[in-house]
Amino acid sequence: MTGGRSGGVVARSLSKHYGEGNTYVQALSEAGFEIQPGEVVALLGPSGSGKSTLLTILGLINPPSSGWLSIGGQEVIRDGQIVGNANIIRRRELGFVFQRSNLIPFLTAAENVRLVLELDDVPGREARQRARDIMEALGVADRADHLPAQLSGGQQQRVAIARSLIHQPSLLLADEPTASLDKELGRQVMQLFRSAAKDRGAAVLVVTHDQRALDLVDRIFEIEDGVLTVGSEGVAAHSTPGGR
Amino acid sequence: MNLAIRDVRHDLSRFVLTAVGLGLLLTVVLAMTGIYNGIILDATALPDSFGADLWIVQRETRGPFAELSRIPAGLEERARSVPGVAEARTYVAHTIQRDLPDGSPVRFMAVGLSWPDDRGQALPIVAGRPIAQPHYEFLADRSLGLPLGARIPLGREVYVVVGITDGLLASGGEPAAFFTRSDAQKIQNETSNESLRLERAARSARIRESELGRDPELLRFSGAATSLIPAIGPAPVAAVMLNLAPGASEASVRATLEAWQDVSVYSQEEQRALILGGVVEKTRRQIGLFRGLLVVISAILMGLIIYTMTVDKIHSIALLKLLGARRTVILGMILQESLLLGGLAYGLAVVLGNVAFDLFPRRVVVGNEHRLALLLVVALISVMASIVGIKKALAADPNEVLAG
Ligand SMILES: Nc1ncnc2c1ncn2[C@@H]1O[C@H](COP(=O)(O)OP(=O)(O)OP(=O)(O)O)[C@@H](O)[C@H]1O
Ligand SMILES: [Mg+2]
Repeated sequence: MTGGRSGGVVARSLSKHYGEGNTYVQALSEAGFEIQPGEVVALLGPSGSGKSTLLTILGLINPPSSGWLSIGGQEVIRDGQIVGNANIIRRRELGFVFQRSNLIPFLTAAENVRLVLELDDVPGREARQRARDIMEALGVADRADHLPAQLSGGQQQRVAIARSLIHQPSLLLADEPTASLDKELGRQVMQLFRSAAKDRGAAVLVVTHDQRALDLVDRIFEIEDGVLTVGSEGVAAHSTPGGR
Repeated sequence: MNLAIRDVRHDLSRFVLTAVGLGLLLTVVLAMTGIYNGIILDATALPDSFGADLWIVQRETRGPFAELSRIPAGLEERARSVPGVAEARTYVAHTIQRDLPDGSPVRFMAVGLSWPDDRGQALPIVAGRPIAQPHYEFLADRSLGLPLGARIPLGREVYVVVGITDGLLASGGEPAAFFTRSDAQKIQNETSNESLRLERAARSARIRESELGRDPELLRFSGAATSLIPAIGPAPVAAVMLNLAPGASEASVRATLEAWQDVSVYSQEEQRALILGGVVEKTRRQIGLFRGLLVVISAILMGLIIYTMTVDKIHSIALLKLLGARRTVILGMILQESLLLGGLAYGLAVVLGNVAFDLFPRRVVVGNEHRLALLLVVALISVMASIVGIKKALAADPNEVLAG
């Protein structure tokens, strides 16, 4: 199902430049796109092309120089300014997965997963239950009380995905989440994003260099020198008709 | 879910070891405070124990505790006749170091009491009784280590410990022992038979060579004991202590005494001020300075520890920010860890102090008010140290998480 949420992500004319004069870099120019709830999009581009820049703008980590953005039907950036409390939007609307070092080393897997809920004052009982459920779904429930250092790379990544999904975000951002995994695990992780998008109605944007998993995404965005090219209906739409 | 406790638990041994180190430092701070208090108490316990209202001492001296004072023993009678004076007692004291029969040295201050009015009944006697005979009995301070009933030869006599006092020391730290005045003076002045004989012979020889030598009566006395020579008065005393009659005016008694040309008069308060201002002032200041320095060192150390603890988890802090944690969550974690560290160190210092301070050679006096003061200081240090960490944490950039 792709319902339950309206909005997904709508970006209009997002631009970002760094520096002045000699050091001026146009890292992102006039990017505009929509990602529907339940849609998985891969962001491809060479090194230095502006992938991370776009991700940090969507994640409200760095503001753009100009542009407009809405997440989950809620306006979050207007005229290059973050509208409202970025912390609350991150706690409720955004999920993050990175290449590695996703987890807090002094918290157990289960504590890492329910952290986002506790930061948003969800009662402990409910947070625990929801953490149990999502870890069950991702197959890491039996590692709930382990510290991150006691988990394999793949397990760590699945715990991080559980953490990024537990609060049912509108937008899930992932920066090369499969880079430290072998091919099989990489595909598994992409598959998890896919199910998350389809089951929970999240819009998913995955930065990847990993050609092996591109058949699992709905659309591909390409970026070069800060210029974003939005692909039409993607590969997965054909290979697995109707989604899952 | 408490982040501070989980972070601490994650590297518990390091945290505990740090707390132990800091705790030892705080123990020394507490010991310094205790020694400081002990010095003041030790220095004033003896003068306070007599409960005198006024002290008469040799003119222009700060005696008898801060410096030597010698006044004629007859002043006791003269002072007693002043209107408003209820009681007059002499004070004599001198330090003695002798070997016990078993060869171990004892060092103490022999204090002479005004027998029979003063038998030491006002002193803090914790075992035994006051002196009951004019001779050969004495009270020893507990710190002297002599048991009740111990028989100690001093000079040509043997003296028995009949009572034990607590916490009465001379300003130099020697324990006090209380004898009747005549015993105390006897112990001080008693010399060997040979030196007595030589002294008397020398005295006779001097007289024989002078005009005075023609008087056979004088010549006969010159070879006798000093106390038998009428021209030579009784041994001087250090001071005379006065107690005023109920309702008597201290000012008028003082005015009378100060008219005497040969003495100075101090109230008990002035006597305390002389002792604290003179004898122990330097020690006191030195220990106070040392203690202040240790507090500063503890603060710097704690700031460094909290700073490194924050740096060690800067990635986690950046991640927390990325996940949308409120500022208060991150600041609270650092502040709580700092207070936990300070609290643990403080607890250790108090417990260790309770055990160890009794073993110190000098008196260490630590009251609840001193523990409370240290607690406040530690709380302040903890908060200040956490500010160092918090500044670092606030600068943590969520972009660092993306950078891996
Ligand atoms: N803080 C910054 N200050 C100045 N220039 C920056 C800054 N961050 C990024 N840039 C520049 O912006 C451009 C885009 O960088 P970005 O990090 O988005 O690339 P990327 O596509 O993520 O590359 P990679 O695949 O290597 O991670 C680069 O030219 C980079 O040098
Ligand atoms: Mg990048």
